[in-house]
Amino acid sequence: MSRPARHRGLVAGALVAIAALVVSSCGAGGRPEDGEGGGGGGASDVGVTADTVKVGAHFPLTGVAAPGYSEIPTGAKAYFEYVNANGGVHGRTIEYVFRDDAYNPTNTSQVTNELVLQDEIFAMVGGLGTPTHSAVLDFLNGEGVPDLFVSSGSLLWDQPEQNPMTFGWQPDYEVEGKIIGQYVKQNMPDAKVGLFLQDDDFGEDGEKGARAYIDDQIVAAERYAPGNTDIGPQIAALQAAGAEVIIGFNVPSYTALSQLTALRLNYKPQWIYSNVGSDPALVGALLSRFSEGKVTDASLIDGAITTEYLPGVEESDDPWTRLWQKVWDAHGGEGKLTNYRIYGMSQAYTFVQALQAAGPEPTREGIVEALERVGGELRGPAFVPYRYSADSHAGLSGVKVVRISGDGTKDLGPVQVTDNGDADITEHTEKHAPPPPDGIPDVQPVG
Amino acid sequence: MQQFLNVTLGGLAQGAIYAAFALALVLIWRATRIINFAQGAMAMFTTYLALVLIESGQSYWTGFAVALAGGLVLGALVERVVMRPVEGGPELNAVIVTLGLFVALQALAAILFGATFQSFPAPFGLRGFTVGGTTIAFTPFSVFVIGSVVVVMLGLVALFRFTDLGLRMRASAFSQEVARLLGVRVGRMLTLGWAFAAVVGSLAGLLIAGGNLVHPAYMDAVIVYGFVAAVLGGLESPAGAVAGGLIIGLALSYVSGYLGSELVTLAALAILVAVLLVRPHGLFSRVAERRV
Repeated sequence: MSRPARHRGLVAGALVAIAALVVSSCGAGGRPEDGEGGGGGGASDVGVTADTVKVGAHFPLTGVAAPGYSEIPTGAKAYFEYVNANGGVHGRTIEYVFRDDAYNPTNTSQVTNELVLQDEIFAMVGGLGTPTHSAVLDFLNGEGVPDLFVSSGSLLWDQPEQNPMTFGWQPDYEVEGKIIGQYVKQNMPDAKVGLFLQDDDFGEDGEKGARAYIDDQIVAAERYAPGNTDIGPQIAALQAAGAEVIIGFNVPSYTALSQLTALRLNYKPQWIYSNVGSDPALVGALLSRFSEGKVTDASLIDGAITTEYLPGVEESDDPWTRLWQKVWDAHGGEGKLTNYRIYGMSQAYTFVQALQAAGPEPTREGIVEALERVGGELRGPAFVPYRYSADSHAGLSGVKVVRISGDGTKDLGPVQVTDNGDADITEHTEKHAPPPPDGIPDVQPVG
Repeated sequence: MQQFLNVTLGGLAQGAIYAAFALALVLIWRATRIINFAQGAMAMFTTYLALVLIESGQSYWTGFAVALAGGLVLGALVERVVMRPVEGGPELNAVIVTLGLFVALQALAAILFGATFQSFPAPFGLRGFTVGGTTIAFTPFSVFVIGSVVVVMLGLVALFRFTDLGLRMRASAFSQEVARLLGVRVGRMLTLGWAFAAVVGSLAGLLIAGGNLVHPAYMDAVIVYGFVAAVLGGLESPAGAVAGGLIIGLALSYVSGYLGSELVTLAALAILVAVLLVRPHGLFSRVAERRV
């Protein structure tokens, strides 16, 4: 009897709730620029004040992609703090905000909204992931936020016409796939090759690169959906196809899972993993506890082939690694220096270069223009140069092929560079310059 | 052929895990008439307890036993402290409280144990058996998983069908008033139902974790497929839950192996909808007449 009344109550309640949501979302959407008019000298753009520049990023701090990748922002933070402690860039300190998206594109949209609209960042630096970052690509470009050095090797970041604010950073998966493909063609010309691919642009781009050289050797290409941890059927299919070499374009937890599944099947192909999925320390740690000591630490991944474009943590004599160690010791948080932290620091180093090039009054357009003009000449922790220009927002141009041995790696060939499409692969002979003595780049302002 | 065999065996092993989880759901449904969405989170929590012990140098079996005991205590505690206030009210209230518990436990585990992936050891070998020169995707650990599931299933059947305790638990779940009038201590039965279900859930958590990677959300996929398995089996019958689990495990393994791993969740949904359309009370249910 009281039903109609209760229903009306519910409807009214729902309306109130909807109204509240609408009002609050409008509030969140209010553009920050309006309030900037009276800002004092030095506040040249959103996120820039007289003595700070605020940048942001999204990373998987939890979930399936968190192992390893969650360490990247801690490395970047340590390097920014090191720069801040040494006077900052043009007198400004860098504020770095990173948020967890759990490698879930829906979360990425939400945290990016927060970063841009609420934290009012000047630029996005190093947002991680192909599926995740593609969800915010249009938003960042629409808002005119510089979207620098995406932590992913997808080709999506190199579309300067469509996405003028977005820049890649690491060697893209096609370039990496090409160099791996050529290595297999030259060194294992008769091997049957299987591909183990993440089912998105990551796997697709890598496959494209590899197929450019060894299309006739590939006998199977299996894809896994990130989040589905049962990859038994995929590995069984590769085994059934008789693959003797497996090239994996996958994230580190899937490297561990693929090793584990292959163990179950007693399947021992030559594994080749993309750089992003192969960190020996991390994969070794993930695999360390299995079978009560029957499988010892890194032994499963030992002997696998991968690629490198930065000096790793094991190369403790390298001047860059020495710099990162010094930075981490002084400004790092808990834990040791790892390759992922070095990756974050290297990205942060590149951002400092870009911010220096943007001059003492940095603007969002200014930093993009500066990168297009001098980005190709910047030299830093990577073995190879960037491909930045007005027509290209592609990141590093090459890698070297290495074999995992213990916690470190052994070179299998020289550093090689190439470009997308049918560009040739050539050896990169320029000597890798050490970092500046104070560990902070010194790039002259452009224009 | 070898691929078919391996995909099938992998599906069976995976299905046994879904079955273990579905058994826990069946148990709590028969003992309390609610669906516990926090089951997976509770299992995850006790699995982490085992991991902490194993890491501190205890044997696998110590961790195993402590996790099961922890499940017993956690189940009873949750019933007494969290569920008791909403029992007897609308069923929806209880279900929503379990959802809240699910989120809370996951967050707590991330704070206590960290949100990163960790490997969880297995008590038996993870290399497949060799049959006639080829290695098949069936490991000593798979045997352990399937054996445990069968034992639990038989135990549940025996509990509900042959024991006085099982009868009293069912009576309290169906009609608290009548059961109370007949001298059944309903409160105690509900606590016991939760405790038992949590033990079975903990077992499922341990079986899934063994020789795999764990993180606070590692049960999420299993929760979904375990629910599908339990609903397939009709939510009432332990044997139905096991059959449902195996069906789901096999079907998803074939879908993943022959159609593509991106279709797995979709396939689970399609199976669920198809079964509910044809047999709304599940494949193995004979209790339609009880729902008055």
